Amino acid sequence: MIELKNIEKYYANKGVKSYILRHVTTSIKQGEFVSIMGPSGAGKSTLLNILGMLEEATYGEYHFMGEDVTAMNERKRIELYRNHIGFVFQAYHLIDEMTVAENIEAPLLYKKIPGAERKSRIADVLDRFNMVAKKDLFPNQLSGGQQQLVGIARALVAQPSIILADEPTGNLQSAQSEQIMDLFRKLNQEENITILQVTHSEKNAQFGNRILTIEDGVIKEDVSVSK
Amino acid sequence: MFKLNLKIALRNLFRNKVYAAINIGGLALGLTAFLFILLYINHEESYDKWSTDLKNVYQVRERHSFSTPDNLEHWQESNNSRVANLLKERIPQIEVITKIDKVWSFSDGTAVKIEHADPVMIRDIRDADHHFFHVFPYKFLRGDEQTALEKPNSIVLKEAIALKLFGSLNVLGKQVKTLVWQGDEGNSLIVTGVVAAPSTPETVAFNAITRTGNKDNDPENPGTTNYCQIYAKITDNSDTTKLNKLVQNVYVAFKKKTFAGKDVGFEEYYKDKSKSPGLKLVSLQTVHGNPALTVNWLEKVKPIIAISIFLLLISIINFVNLATAQSVKRAKEVGVKKVLGSYKKQLIIQFLLESALQSVVALFFSVILIEVLLPSFNSYFNVNLSFWHNAQLFVLIIQLIGLFLLVTLLAGFYPAWILSNYNPVSVLKGNYENGLKGIFLRNALVIFQFVISVTFMISIGVMQLQTDYINHKDLGFDKSKVINIKSSYDENFASKIRRIAGVQYVGTTTQVLGNAFNFNAPIDYEGKKIDINSVTVTMEALPALGVKVVKGRIFSPQYKADTLTSAVLNESAAQLLGKDVIGKHFSQNSGKAILQIVGVIKDYHNEGFDKAVLPTMYKITKLGSSSNTNNMLVRFSSENSEQILEKIAREWRLAYPNYPMQYAALNDSFEKILEENKRFINMIVLFSVVSIALSLLGLFALSTFMAKRRTKEIAIRKILGASNLQLMNMLNRSFLLLVLMANFISWPIAFILTRKWLAGFAYRIDMPIWPFLIATVLSVAIAIFTVSLQARKAAVSNSVNSLKYE
Repeated sequence: MIELKNIEKYYANKGVKSYILRHVTTSIKQGEFVSIMGPSGAGKSTLLNILGMLEEATYGEYHFMGEDVTAMNERKRIELYRNHIGFVFQAYHLIDEMTVAENIEAPLLYKKIPGAERKSRIADVLDRFNMVAKKDLFPNQLSGGQQQLVGIARALVAQPSIILADEPTGNLQSAQSEQIMDLFRKLNQEENITILQVTHSEKNAQFGNRILTIEDGVIKEDVSVSK
Repeated sequence: MFKLNLKIALRNLFRNKVYAAINIGGLALGLTAFLFILLYINHEESYDKWSTDLKNVYQVRERHSFSTPDNLEHWQESNNSRVANLLKERIPQIEVITKIDKVWSFSDGTAVKIEHADPVMIRDIRDADHHFFHVFPYKFLRGDEQTALEKPNSIVLKEAIALKLFGSLNVLGKQVKTLVWQGDEGNSLIVTGVVAAPSTPETVAFNAITRTGNKDNDPENPGTTNYCQIYAKITDNSDTTKLNKLVQNVYVAFKKKTFAGKDVGFEEYYKDKSKSPGLKLVSLQTVHGNPALTVNWLEKVKPIIAISIFLLLISIINFVNLATAQSVKRAKEVGVKKVLGSYKKQLIIQFLLESALQSVVALFFSVILIEVLLPSFNSYFNVNLSFWHNAQLFVLIIQLIGLFLLVTLLAGFYPAWILSNYNPVSVLKGNYENGLKGIFLRNALVIFQFVISVTFMISIGVMQLQTDYINHKDLGFDKSKVINIKSSYDENFASKIRRIAGVQYVGTTTQVLGNAFNFNAPIDYEGKKIDINSVTVTMEALPALGVKVVKGRIFSPQYKADTLTSAVLNESAAQLLGKDVIGKHFSQNSGKAILQIVGVIKDYHNEGFDKAVLPTMYKITKLGSSSNTNNMLVRFSSENSEQILEKIAREWRLAYPNYPMQYAALNDSFEKILEENKRFINMIVLFSVVSIALSLLGLFALSTFMAKRRTKEIAIRKILGASNLQLMNMLNRSFLLLVLMANFISWPIAFILTRKWLAGFAYRIDMPIWPFLIATVLSVAIAIFTVSLQARKAAVSNSVNSLKYE
């Protein structure tokens, strides 16, 4: 599903290149649950951003579902956002002016899904996440864990093939963390959704089936998690 | 999608009520100023559009053959009455042609007397020939256009006048008498029609059209010429260029014929081509926009149009300023939406929609404001504008929609562009304060706004001081307790009034406030020729005015010579002549008249303050008993003016039963002279209030933005030990600099503008420094106040909250 070849990312500052990522080569297959780990500043988030096409690599090749991302125009990229990629953020990033239901509806609107189906899908997701009672609340009326659930619900409702999560539990307590991770595992196993998460927590990483460890922009380790 | 975006927009507006109110209010103010001008322009543009038939109506204009101050070619509306017949006979395209009186600007109108009622003055009663209503298709409420002016001595009234005179529209066959001046024998006319007022204003405005018979025939003596305006109705689809060529040829041939048997030939007489005979037809619908011999309305109101466009622009700029300042709040929404798969175009449309929502509300409010303010606007500027009862409501609505779209695009596009350009990565990471690149623009806009506001403030100050100066200036005569009756002086009548108790003096002069006519007549004095203004007065004119004697004496019946050879000078004239003029002689009319100077009076004002008092010589009129000055000054000796006036009016009614007495107190004439000036100042005050309000909104927006941008900095400084006051100082400093810079720029601008304005006065103050200082202090003070509102909020807020989240 994802092929990275020699990805490099650096900032040129007064002629000196400061590298964020170096020679990153890896591939991720459909249905994998990958955790990216490493110390602060190692380049985890940058790698995730590049994978999510929010940033461009300075050098290297990136194929997403067989297509060359570096040669992709903006319109095509937005199509990918709409149909294949779901984002989950550490700070949830729900739109404050929209209710829970509306937040979840937003990606469906961009996908131009007809109203009736939107309704049923939202109802479905709300039901599954046990949030039907909260659908008309605004994000600031929810707890952090609930907000992140909405965030994941929003990422899922468009039925993406991959979810990119940047420290999804970074702002949550451990009980809530576990709930979210469970959810990810379930999605991965039952619906075969590819999940890529950046995390600091060894424990969270154990929920997946593969761990990439990055240090100073280089992949140090690439191991499968033994169940 | 649309519904959701609308919901978000509304939620945002309700959440930020203050911001929304400022944004919408500012825009509504700017729009209101602009709409007033738009209404005015529409009104002026709508002249003579009340009937489609008027497309074929043309005004005949003749090339002005006298010298003009600017030496350019001019065309005048008055024509030789013979031209009407000439054109009708020679030019087949002309269906009907009509002749009508021109209206004299100095006239108070015509006296109308019905049976034994008191006569009333009515303006714009115009005499025409019987084709008038064949050319102008007025709608007849009573009578009809074929018969109305069929016979001489008939009169057709406008609806409103019929109601005013008779209280009813059923007036056919009633008799009225019209008099043009007090001694006029008058015409007895029969009402033959009543016409409805048209839906749009008219160039050929009238309250009544009479056919006295004067316009029916041209004078028999070829040497005599009657002047009148001529309007022609031409056949449909005539080629006007060709037509005008024909008109010109016919006219030149006609003019050539008048030279037959004269000593001077046609070619020789019209050596100057620009003064050679010319005649053309001008479409009636363009006449109002291109008046003959005067400046058209557009030229007059151009500065005001400019200012109102300016105000609208400022309010739009403010909108942009506020919206971009506010955009930080929306950055996350943009980032998330982009990641969810929104096109940039969709985001731009969303934010444009929000601007549209606000501008539609602003437009709504400004329409309400217009409705509320229109009556006072109308009475103030002496116009009759209406919003809903507008003949061109449809056009107006189209214009409003256009204006709405324009404002939405102008105000909404830049913020929408900025917002939709936010980079999702940086936004979602949390550092989206990339507002620095726009800060220069915003600062420049604030300076710009304050330059305007400060300039306005200084101008108001200077104008106020000048107005005070004028109001308290010694006029050189006593304007209280004097009335000026609009009438020629008649000794019989004057002596009757003099007998009334309380009347002190009755006299006449050509030189009095409100109706001055100054005539230059050079004198010979000690071998020098001196240009001097000559005014003839009656014995009691100068005492009636209450002039102040500086040297010698003024005229008095005690001295027999006074009616023949005495002269009084004013100070300006005396200065021209030199020292010790009393008792000296000078001659006029190349020695035919020798006059002796008996006194010098203080200069007295008889025209507006834009004109200097002319060096003037006063002598007693040779006519003595009667003179056609249209001024009859009456000074009262007691305060009891009501009673005295009543008695004078009684005498008037006995002397002139068919013509009402017209008079003005000199106090009122003085006020009238100041009126235009006052109106102008009030308008400037209004504009400056709006512009200052808008500038403060702009500043408020920018300071909000700055305070928000620096929340984190403020929090850290606070933790490091900065006091609230220190923080406020810090936030104020940069704005203070902007306002001071604006002051620095506006001083010279204001100086130049106000000096130009002052130069229009012959009597003026020296350029004062105080308005400049006060404007600066005031602008700095209100700027500090505005910024502090925000700065205080930022400084006092709990720093923990700003630092908690990254």
